[in-house]
Amino acid sequence: MTLTDPLPDLRWVDIDVDGALAETEAAAAPWTRADFLRGGLGALLGSLAVPALAGAASKPDRGDVAILNYALTLEELQAAFYTETEQANALKGETKVQARVVGGHERAHVKAFRDVLGSKAGKQPSFDFRGVTENEDDFRRTAVAFEDLAVAAYKAQAPAIRSKAYLAAAIGIHSVEARHAGWIRRLAGRSPVNTAFDEPISATRVRAIVAKTNFVTSSPKTGTKKGSPRFTG
Amino acid sequence: MDQGSRDAAVSGHSLSEAPVRRWSRAALLRRAGAGGLAVSLGGALLARRSGPAVSSPSVDARVLQFALIVERLQAAFYAEANKNGKLRGEVAEFSRVVGANEREHVAFVTKALRGSAAAAPRFSFGDATTSEKQFVRSAVELEDLGLAAYNGQATNLSPAALAAAAKIVSVEARHAAWIRDLAGKPPAPLAVDKPLDEAQVRAALKRTGYIKP
Repeated sequence: MTLTDPLPDLRWVDIDVDGALAETEAAAAPWTRADFLRGGLGALLGSLAVPALAGAASKPDRGDVAILNYALTLEELQAAFYTETEQANALKGETKVQARVVGGHERAHVKAFRDVLGSKAGKQPSFDFRGVTENEDDFRRTAVAFEDLAVAAYKAQAPAIRSKAYLAAAIGIHSVEARHAGWIRRLAGRSPVNTAFDEPISATRVRAIVAKTNFVTSSPKTGTKKGSPRFTG
Repeated sequence: MDQGSRDAAVSGHSLSEAPVRRWSRAALLRRAGAGGLAVSLGGALLARRSGPAVSSPSVDARVLQFALIVERLQAAFYAEANKNGKLRGEVAEFSRVVGANEREHVAFVTKALRGSAAAAPRFSFGDATTSEKQFVRSAVELEDLGLAAYNGQATNLSPAALAAAAKIVSVEARHAAWIRDLAGKPPAPLAVDKPLDEAQVRAALKRTGYIKP
C-alpha cells in the first residue's frame, strides 16, 4: 500500500490505483441494513445535523447562503451518484453496503441543506455519470475522488461560515465525508489516509475539477458569480 | 496572504504532488512559529469575518493545549503498540501509519503553542497495546474520541485556528473509519458526526484509565 497517493482528482481514468490490498478485499460487512437503519439513520435523527441547521436563530446571511448552496450542489452530485449506483445494482459485498450507507448520508445532507435554505436553495443540476455507476472498479475510483474532494471542499469553506449553527453542522458533515473517504479508499485497495494533514481545495479549484468530469450536464441557477462563496480558501 | 495569492497558491500547482503539500505545511509551521497561529494563518479571513466571534488567541491556545493531550495520548498509544510488536497484518499497518500521523500532529500542535505546551502526562495502556483485540477496541474509541473532541471545539476557534484544526480532524476521521472497518463496525455510523465538548472528552479520557494521575 502506498502512502503517497495522489490527492483527489476526478479525472479518475488517470488515477493509478495501487492494487496491493485488492486481493484481500474485505468480504461483505458483518452488519446489515437493519443495523444501519436502527443505529445509523435513527441516530441521525437525534444527532446534531438537522436540528442545528433548522434551529439556527436567524436566517443565513448572504455569505453563508452562498456557501450552503455550494455545499448543496456538491451533496447533490454525490447523492445522485450513489442513488444511480444503487439503481444500477452492479456492486456486491461491502462495496454495495458502502454505496447504500453513504448514499443515505449524502441524501440526508441534501435534505438538511434544502430545508435550511428554503426558497434560497439553488435548482438541482442534472447529472450524467457516463457509466461509472455501472461497474465496481469505476464506481470505486469515482467514489474515492468524490469523497476526498468533498473533504477538501468543506475544509476550505468552514472558516468562512459566520453562523455557529451552520459551522457546527458543516464540521460534523466534513468529518463524515472523511470517514466515507477512508472507507472507500480501503475498499479500493488504497491507503485510507494520505498524509498527517488534509489540505483544503478552493471553490474555484473544486469547480474546475468537477467541470472536467462532464458529470454535470446543467448548472443550477445560482451558479453565477454572485452566488459563489466569497471565501475560496 | 491576500485572497488572490491564496487562490494562486491552491490552484497554481498540481494537486498530485506530495512535495507541494509538504511545502504548504512547512510554510504553515513557519508562519505559526513567527506570528502565532491565529494571527498568521488567516489574517485575511479574520479581517473579513465580521460576525459575532468570541474566539481569540487565548481561546485558541486553550483549545490547542486540550488537543495536545488527545494527540499525545494517541501518539503514545500507537508508539507503545508498535514497540510491543503484537499486532499482525493490516492492524499492524494501521498502527504504524496512524502512529506516524499522530506524532506529526503532536509536533504541529506543540509548535503552534510556541513554547507554552504543558508538560506531557504519563500514560499506562495495560493490555491495550499487547492484545490485538484490546488494541482494536481502544483504537476505535480513541479515534472516534479525537474526532469528536476537535469537532466540539470548532465553534470556539478563530477562523485561522479552525483552518489548521480542520486539516487534522479529517485525518482523525479517516483513521476512525479505517479501524472501525477492521473492527467490523460501521466506518461512518452517522450522517453527521456528533461533537463532544471539553468536559465530555475529559470524562471519556478519565474512563479509559490511560492517563496516570
